[in-house]
Amino acid sequence: MVLTGLLVGIALGFVMQRGRFCVTGAFRDVWVARNTRWLTAFLIVIAVQSVGLFALQSAGVITLEAKQLPLVATLVGGFIFGFAIVLAGGCATGTYYRAGEGLVGSWLALVGYVVFSAVMKKGALSPVNEEVRSHKVGVTTIYDTLHVSPWLLVAALVGGVGWLAARHLAVPAPRLATLPPRRTGLAHLLFEKPWHAFGTAVVIGLIAIVAWPLSAATGRNDGLGITTPSANLVHYLVTGSSKSLDWGVFLVLGILVGSYLAARGSGEFRVRVPDARTATRSVVGGVLMGVGASLAGGCTIGNAMVQTAQFSWQGWLAFGSMLLGTGAAAHVFILRHRREGAAAVPETASLARV
Amino acid sequence: MKHTLDTVTQVCPFPLVEAKQAMAGLALGDELVIDFDCTQATDALPRWAAENGYPVTHFDRVGDAAWTITVQKA
Repeated sequence: MVLTGLLVGIALGFVMQRGRFCVTGAFRDVWVARNTRWLTAFLIVIAVQSVGLFALQSAGVITLEAKQLPLVATLVGGFIFGFAIVLAGGCATGTYYRAGEGLVGSWLALVGYVVFSAVMKKGALSPVNEEVRSHKVGVTTIYDTLHVSPWLLVAALVGGVGWLAARHLAVPAPRLATLPPRRTGLAHLLFEKPWHAFGTAVVIGLIAIVAWPLSAATGRNDGLGITTPSANLVHYLVTGSSKSLDWGVFLVLGILVGSYLAARGSGEFRVRVPDARTATRSVVGGVLMGVGASLAGGCTIGNAMVQTAQFSWQGWLAFGSMLLGTGAAAHVFILRHRREGAAAVPETASLARV
Repeated sequence: MKHTLDTVTQVCPFPLVEAKQAMAGLALGDELVIDFDCTQATDALPRWAAENGYPVTHFDRVGDAAWTITVQKA
């Protein structure tokens, strides 16, 4: 049933939109704000998922595949992707869910990303992509290299992330100003109340676990993934070949639907047109995201969130490389940000302006 | 005195980046009205205010996916 992909996608898009879960923001805050709150949330997703995936494997429900590491492609692609998501204003999933909120800049980035994923994986640049990715190092997973049980790494990850999360939770949470509530009960919780970053992360981790057996049941032995499904979507659209229309394609379409429903339900959907600078960056960022994610073998989800949960070298090296790429772009585009018109106008002057 | 910063059409993190820049030029007790339409800033702006001890004197929706928040420099 490929339609379960649509349902998982809808759930993921909904939770990410409502939880304001943004991997770009998580990576960026490390450099811009020296803050690891969202990065910790991201690590919680990996930890929760790693417990689930290895439990499913132990129970014989799924079989995790370990692929050899294309070292250069992973590092270079990861860096390009990490750099690009700052330009695009969101990672692959972030771009999908913001597109569902009505951000035209994300529509532009999304088109660039899906088209160039297809160009790299199935089109004109696929020989280049295959050549770079063909240079492999003879390692697969970290537990295999260390000759230990994967459960040892799962335990270490859960312990480390648990400690980090506890440190964040030990700091008394500042009382945040909130929007005046307009709803009550479940509607308030689903469509209005700000969600805790770590709670959102646990839910996303659970969705990622459920995704695997559902996807495997349709013949696609993989978990959450965005880049290959995006390339498959374009391939289907331009060739009509329904072979490409697999579980993953429904997953990414579901993200759009889910975030649209969440945004619509909470009064957060509006078609928003960016200024020229944002639009240009979105296009360039989207194209580079497609190139980078294809080289690296996945985006912040497929690589940094799912491959990491399996402790593959590719996942963790791509994660590190993406983080560095985001840092480089944050220094260029965020820490030096200046905008004409971004000045505080005193009230008397602003009244005169009107 | 009240100052207004219009960040509408600016995607995150720029409303926050620009709010910090604008706040630096304000006197103690001055208020900064930030108009924004980036969803994530509904979390980022009040969090920034709270972490810096700036009182939020007004925070509301002005329409679908459009918000305004007033932060006082303290």
